[in-house]
Amino acid sequence: MDILIIMGIGIFIGLKFFPDKYKKKNEKMQMVCTILIIFSMGVMLGRRENFLQEITSLGLTSFLYFFIPTLFSILIVYLLTRLFMKNKSKEKEG
Amino acid sequence: MVLLTVIALLLGIAYGLSGIDITIINFIAEHTHYILYLLMFLVGISIGLHRGLIQKIKEYHVKIFIIPFGIIIGSLLGGIVCSFMTGISMNTSTAMASGLGWYSLSGVMISEFAGVSFGSITFLSSLMREIFSFISIPFIAKYFNFPTCIAPAGATSEDTTLPMLIRYTNEETVVLSVINGILCSAAVPILINLCYQIF
Repeated sequence: MDILIIMGIGIFIGLKFFPDKYKKKNEKMQMVCTILIIFSMGVMLGRRENFLQEITSLGLTSFLYFFIPTLFSILIVYLLTRLFMKNKSKEKEG
Repeated sequence: MVLLTVIALLLGIAYGLSGIDITIINFIAEHTHYILYLLMFLVGISIGLHRGLIQKIKEYHVKIFIIPFGIIIGSLLGGIVCSFMTGISMNTSTAMASGLGWYSLSGVMISEFAGVSFGSITFLSSLMREIFSFISIPFIAKYFNFPTCIAPAGATSEDTTLPMLIRYTNEETVVLSVINGILCSAAVPILINLCYQIF
């Protein structure tokens, strides 16, 4: 829950006080944070015992968690857009 | 960005496997939750900076929610199916499927909640979703319809996969994809939290 509160404070500051000229710097900072977090995730993974043996099963499970939710998303969005956005966005303009 | 994150992950793994001890790296690796807090604060600022969002939502009325609604429901159903297939608990499974392609944030959040292994699965699956989006958008544009191209992109439809959507769909779909990306990005941390606590 604390994560959501922090994000909420960020949204409020972005909406009311944050100057547009620092938008790019904000994005760069996000990238630095992301890279640091992912690097740290790699460090924690690499320190695990039997990590190299685990990676095979992680790969297969990761594929399932990518493929099935993505497939369901595509099918449901397709059905919903067929039902509610019938004559929209079928042809490329220009 | 994708390449950079993969390199960061591989370097981290190599460091972890090597057994080398560098104090500053150890300190960062053991205090990632503070970096996550900073990241969430900065992401919040980005969302807040989209000041025209409310006006655009008014123009599209309720239709604006059709695509993110379909993406979220589809992903959650996928998480439920994956839970039965893998034996991973329902709360962890639906939380993992709630990443909607936002590999960095979802991987980190799941790591905090459910451990590094599940965080890594979430990271890899979200990364696969993003790569799949690049490949599938032209195919979906040709054989389904333009709004459906946004579905595989999920939360990334406002940034990394946007160039593909601009190339293969039309202006209206691009606006929808930007708004979808903002809504899905705002939904990801909420969904992960809720799924992990409710299911």
